[in-house]
Amino acid sequence: MFKKILIANRGEIAVRVIKACREMGISTVAVYSDVDRKSLHVQMADEAVPIGPAPAIESYLNMDRIIAAARATGAEAIHPGYGFLAENSDFARRLEKEKVVFIGPNSKALELVGDKVRARQTMDKAGVPIIPGMNSIPKDISEYEAAAKKLGYPVMIKASAGGGGKGMRIVCSEQELRPGLEAGRREAKSAFGDESVYLEKYIEEPRHVEFQVLADNYGNTVHLFERECSIQRRHQKIVEESPSQALDPTLRTKMGETAKKVVRAAGYNNAGTVEFLLDKNKNFFFLEVNARLQVEHPVTEFCTGVDLVRQQIRIAAGEKLSFSQKDLEQRGHALECRIYAEDATKNFLPSSGKILFLKEPKGPGVRHDCGVYSGWEVPIYYDPILAKLIVWAEDRDAACDRMLAALNDYAILGISTSISFLKDIINHPEFRAGRTNTGFIKNHFENWGEKEKSEDKLRLALAAAAFDSINSGPSGKKVVGGTQKATVSPWQTLGHWRLGEGR
Amino acid sequence: MEFEFLVDKELRKIVLEKKEGGYCIAYGENQVTADIQSISPHVLSLMIDGRSYLVYIARDKEKKYIFIDGQQFIVQEPGRETKSFHAGEEKAQEGTLLITAPMPGKVIKIHVVEQQEVRKNQTLAIVEAMKMENDIKSSVEGFVKKIFVSVGELVDSEKPLIELETKK
Repeated sequence: MFKKILIANRGEIAVRVIKACREMGISTVAVYSDVDRKSLHVQMADEAVPIGPAPAIESYLNMDRIIAAARATGAEAIHPGYGFLAENSDFARRLEKEKVVFIGPNSKALELVGDKVRARQTMDKAGVPIIPGMNSIPKDISEYEAAAKKLGYPVMIKASAGGGGKGMRIVCSEQELRPGLEAGRREAKSAFGDESVYLEKYIEEPRHVEFQVLADNYGNTVHLFERECSIQRRHQKIVEESPSQALDPTLRTKMGETAKKVVRAAGYNNAGTVEFLLDKNKNFFFLEVNARLQVEHPVTEFCTGVDLVRQQIRIAAGEKLSFSQKDLEQRGHALECRIYAEDATKNFLPSSGKILFLKEPKGPGVRHDCGVYSGWEVPIYYDPILAKLIVWAEDRDAACDRMLAALNDYAILGISTSISFLKDIINHPEFRAGRTNTGFIKNHFENWGEKEKSEDKLRLALAAAAFDSINSGPSGKKVVGGTQKATVSPWQTLGHWRLGEGR
Repeated sequence: MEFEFLVDKELRKIVLEKKEGGYCIAYGENQVTADIQSISPHVLSLMIDGRSYLVYIARDKEKKYIFIDGQQFIVQEPGRETKSFHAGEEKAQEGTLLITAPMPGKVIKIHVVEQQEVRKNQTLAIVEAMKMENDIKSSVEGFVKKIFVSVGELVDSEKPLIELETKK
């Protein structure tokens, strides 16, 4: 087993990996950009190495600096998290040469599945159903126009190196195609360092169902059932769950076996996710392989009891899978909400600023994977995910109730977050009924606004504000002085301040 | 003591007086007695008629962020609020409109030049923040009067980007 691992990421996922390493007795090395010196992952790791300026391209995407950091600290392996270099086959190949273990799939498989276009070709050949679309990256814009015409609008622009919705756009007409391609290319370039985009037929209002897989280096492959991630905005998932309400045991087995077929066809090892779109008639199409740990992995961890990060590290260290398909079962129901720094009332514009106060929800069956803390400034340079709230309960209804209670008990003050928007999603009758598809937000939450606040709570808020004003003094400074007793109560403070009355 | 606060742009008045066993809160027609305890710099506990409320509070300049049972309030002291208009919105000024940055980010494209005629909903510029591109659109028909920023520039929220002259 490894003695030291470098985590080439930041935020909640770096924290998650550090926690797994700690449990396994592995020491950790964090890397950080200039604006991340005070980030949580830097505080938690055993060692930390600065790797450059704020823009990701100069820091978290800078292979030379990250490899140099691994060399300098003697880390034997690198965990890439998700995003940044996680699915970069050049990075994996360089690590193979440098004899540093990449905690992820081998570079050949990564290259294949990371090239969404080649992956489509391979899966098509292996007999896996794929979405109609382009099977190569054209040089000229006219070829896109011809392909789009042939597929019929609307079409979807996708980054060949993509994932996480970056570079993705729906195009409804020929006029939108060129600006869409330009924007998609820029986003893809900035997010992945590769600007190739391609077109696929846009399947209307499908469900997004994905299967978690694990494959060791000896050909043992299992799937850990599905996650449904239909609730998306800007093509980014915001609520995920397992099991999916759309699958019955027969379909689940069929899709799970197809997922394993995908993994074998790609010569894939370590943890991965096979994404499918499931249409209204329960036909499923291979979408892509996410060759990394997924944001929503805790949902699977709750339902199967398997620690996926630990498994990733074990597989990368050359260990065999210690369980087989028949050992795995789905238990209960898990839900995840992604907490973004964004303003749901302003078209989900990212918000940045200082987190003045954070109160994390806690309780039985509640997990909070978090990369932020009270007093931390959210930088503008990176993905706006702050944390993930995951709950588990015996059944879906109980899980929804638990999620609502946890969201209600979750305060992030100082910046806009998606929390109240998420509450309304979980509360929505269509969501509660399990009638979800990727059009859910568009269909039910267009022009969403926060509900009218209760007059009762407003009164309490004003009372609290008044109390606070009395106790903080008009200049914002505490009136409480050094002459007070060690245990200062607000009564004393108040009395002290209002001299005329207290005597 | 009477306090005035701005909440969602509305002025609210509340009276808080210390009395035997707690505080008297008068709000509108209602008057209640509350036991208010400061638990920590960010936490207050309120007891009213045996009901317990936990309140989280954070302060930033003239604003207080207050969280009660799943709801957040931004409470401002009137007169101390910074002169600002809504991010991303425009301020009318005798036929001209100022387009401002909706959030801090980087200008990655400017689609228009000065003197150019623009349609309603036309994309004027793109500002990138946190890896997402955000189109800055014109809400009116008119002309580009002035462009204040250049491609690659980092902009703060509410920084003027483009001034438009509206068509009469």
